[in-house]
Amino acid sequence: MPQQDHRDIIEAPGVFVLALIFLAVFIVIWFAHLKWLMDVWGVQ
Amino acid sequence: MAIFRTDALSGLKIDKATENLVRWNVIAALATLAVGGLLGLLVVLTRWPSVHLLPLDYYYRFLTLHGIDALLAWIIFFEIALVHFTSAALLGTRSYVPWLGWLAFALMLAGGAVINVIVLMGGADVMFTSYVPLKGDPLYYLGVILFAVGALLGFIVFFINILLSKRDGGYKRTLPLGAFGMLAASIIAVLTLGHGAAIMIPTWLWSMDLIGTIDPAAYRLVFWGLGHSSQQINVSAMVAVWYMSSAFIIGGKPVNEKLSRTAFVLYILFINVASEHHLLVDPVFSTWHKIVNTSYMMHLAVLASMIHAFAIPASIEVALRKQGHTRGLFEWLKKAPWGNPAFSGMAISILLFGFLGGITGVIFGTEQFNIIRHNTIAITGHFHGTVVAGTTIAFMGFTYLLIQYVFRREIIWKGFATIQPWIYGVGVALLSIGMMSAGSFGVPRRHYDITFSGAPFSFTFDPSIDLFLSMMGVGGVLAVTGGVLYIVLSFGSIIWGKKIEQ
Repeated sequence: MPQQDHRDIIEAPGVFVLALIFLAVFIVIWFAHLKWLMDVWGVQ
Repeated sequence: MAIFRTDALSGLKIDKATENLVRWNVIAALATLAVGGLLGLLVVLTRWPSVHLLPLDYYYRFLTLHGIDALLAWIIFFEIALVHFTSAALLGTRSYVPWLGWLAFALMLAGGAVINVIVLMGGADVMFTSYVPLKGDPLYYLGVILFAVGALLGFIVFFINILLSKRDGGYKRTLPLGAFGMLAASIIAVLTLGHGAAIMIPTWLWSMDLIGTIDPAAYRLVFWGLGHSSQQINVSAMVAVWYMSSAFIIGGKPVNEKLSRTAFVLYILFINVASEHHLLVDPVFSTWHKIVNTSYMMHLAVLASMIHAFAIPASIEVALRKQGHTRGLFEWLKKAPWGNPAFSGMAISILLFGFLGGITGVIFGTEQFNIIRHNTIAITGHFHGTVVAGTTIAFMGFTYLLIQYVFRREIIWKGFATIQPWIYGVGVALLSIGMMSAGSFGVPRRHYDITFSGAPFSFTFDPSIDLFLSMMGVGGVLAVTGGVLYIVLSFGSIIWGKKIEQ
């Protein structure tokens, strides 16, 4: 009897990668706003 | 006696009586978008400093009407068409109260017409928000009430159809996902329109001097229960359209349907508190109140959007992989039906809603960030990223399906139809990014003259705003070009499109 494969399969690996890209863009824009607050508007 | 037909293209069993309600609501939606879009062009050409087209009073009037026609009337007419469509086609049920559907349509049409005439005549120069103690013509408030009551009745027709369809065995355990999403939108609509009634009816009475005063702070709070919550109906309906488009075009099924349904429930529970965005610098409400709403509860609604935003592309990827596009990570993306405007409309809507509207919504809705963006044109850029780049493009894409399934006509000028969502999408993206960038330098929203000519104190913006406002202007013109193409293609197909034989 063959051993059953219990590994998880990502059904949509392309979207998984796109999700990581979205997360990276979100973080960059968020911190760009923080930097903007501090540099341009002088918020400490 | 219900008369059904089986649609040759989609295989859907459709109730003919409800089909007519879908058709007329779509036609009304198209007409209001045409007016709202034209006014939007005039407004953007005025805010573009090198053009500055309209005189002062017409600018504010057209801006008000642009908001009413393009933000409320177009979208709500289309949403009523969607609830009738999901009832007639997805549930395959007959309309139990078609007369109520027509009454709702007539009230919306009458209310919309009254608002348009009164605003154009200068009877409601109180802007879209109509904050008291600014007082407009009583007919303006009456128009808003008529339109809102009509919309409410339209959603009630949907509730009745769902309940009686279940009794008659129209569906078994639960609603199909698209109908479930529209049900979530309808529940949010009832909450929203309840807020509208709670504030607009007293304000109408006050405008006729039948009530002494309306508390301005209470008005602001309750008004945004109507004003912003109505945008949450749009979000829920747009997501339902994404799921339906994915299913109709490529046979996409959600990877985990229970999770998608849970996300819709999160919308119902938490999304209405996002109306607090507008009150983040309001001195009346406590910081605790604002932060609980926008920095805690709002994120539960955002979580729902994140679930949908990845569940739908995942359903598309899984469906396309099943069709054999399995090479590498992204072959399915390359082989997707990009030439089909219904598909490209959905895909552009998901992409732009996520990157433009979604990210900025979370950031601008945070108390600490909001303080520097509030009342700047960056906010206008944000909601053009959600309501226009998101909802409107999604509805445009779905129109191409409705024309074939409900109007039973082929799309005319297929080449133009293929590029229409792209032209519109690129235009709105430029418009939105231009607005957000100019807003980052403090350019105010709504303002007629940002040179402040004649003001006692002078103020000069960073010169880079000229570039960003020009980007906004070019994007606006491009978007209107795509919008005109959509209107021409839709009406042209409905009138002259080749009939699809059943």
